[in-house]
Amino acid sequence: MGRNRRPSKQMLLLLEALSARTQQWRHGYDLMKETGLLSGTLYPLLIRMTDQGLVEAEWREPEQPGRPARHAYRLTNAGVAFARAATPAGPITLTKASFA
Amino acid sequence: MTAAVSRALLSLASRSLGSDRRTWAMAMEAEFEEAVEDGKPMMFAIGCLIAAWREIGKHSEGRLIVANYALALGLLIPMAVLQFQQAVGFLPLVESSPVGIPGSGAEPNPYLIWSQNSAIPILLITWTLLGMAHLCLAWMLVDGDWPRIVKCGTLIGAAMITLALFMGVLMLDLSPLRAQFAELAIELAAVISISRWHIRVYADASREMLAR
Repeated sequence: MGRNRRPSKQMLLLLEALSARTQQWRHGYDLMKETGLLSGTLYPLLIRMTDQGLVEAEWREPEQPGRPARHAYRLTNAGVAFARAATPAGPITLTKASFA
Repeated sequence: MTAAVSRALLSLASRSLGSDRRTWAMAMEAEFEEAVEDGKPMMFAIGCLIAAWREIGKHSEGRLIVANYALALGLLIPMAVLQFQQAVGFLPLVESSPVGIPGSGAEPNPYLIWSQNSAIPILLITWTLLGMAHLCLAWMLVDGDWPRIVKCGTLIGAAMITLALFMGVLMLDLSPLRAQFAELAIELAAVISISRWHIRVYADASREMLAR
């Protein structure tokens, strides 16, 4: 039901970041830096999108020794289709500045 | 200092998310080191706390956590304050000349002055113990440590009965105790309701985990 709703600007930003490289697993903090979203916005979005089957998550080995394993995210096939449908005119060009 | 406060906030966020969102809590904790390296641990931790609190009302475990905090802050801590007040009321009597404690009548009973004055330290300790036990109970409730809650509840009950017997034998004014017993009954009913809710929520969560 949630998928029929128009995605929010923050969700569009996240979809843009994730759909740029659909096969690549992305970490939460990197997504925060790329989209300009704060953790208080990013994580509820990721939780909701994972519950809806738009995003898949898995634990990835840390790049540096001694660090904990990190959670990584990428779009599912349904998520890729949703991203395309949400932005029929082509790549999303929303930036953080456009919401200011 | 900032990193320690941020870590505490992140820990609070993780606890607020509940067991069905445990993976997300771990995901936030794993990213914290990146935020520290980036010099923004506080902003990241506050964001995670906001995220956790936005999720809190959406799941039954979150609502239970809110209820635990409400009971601790709204009932148990005020009860502890009342009991400390009762204990503080005995302090002037410890230092003053032995005139006895006003009983159920207006004046102290002259035949019981010595016994009453001897009992003042014990009464003071018992009221302080009750106050401390209520503070511990509030902490344990928020922590969800049910075996200790049961022990602490038993201690409170035993202390109240001891106090009632002691004050009755010394023919002291029992009106403060009557109010305390009424409040204790409300408190007991609230804790039992929360424990039943806790059992129901965690039984549902276990069933869901087994079904996965």
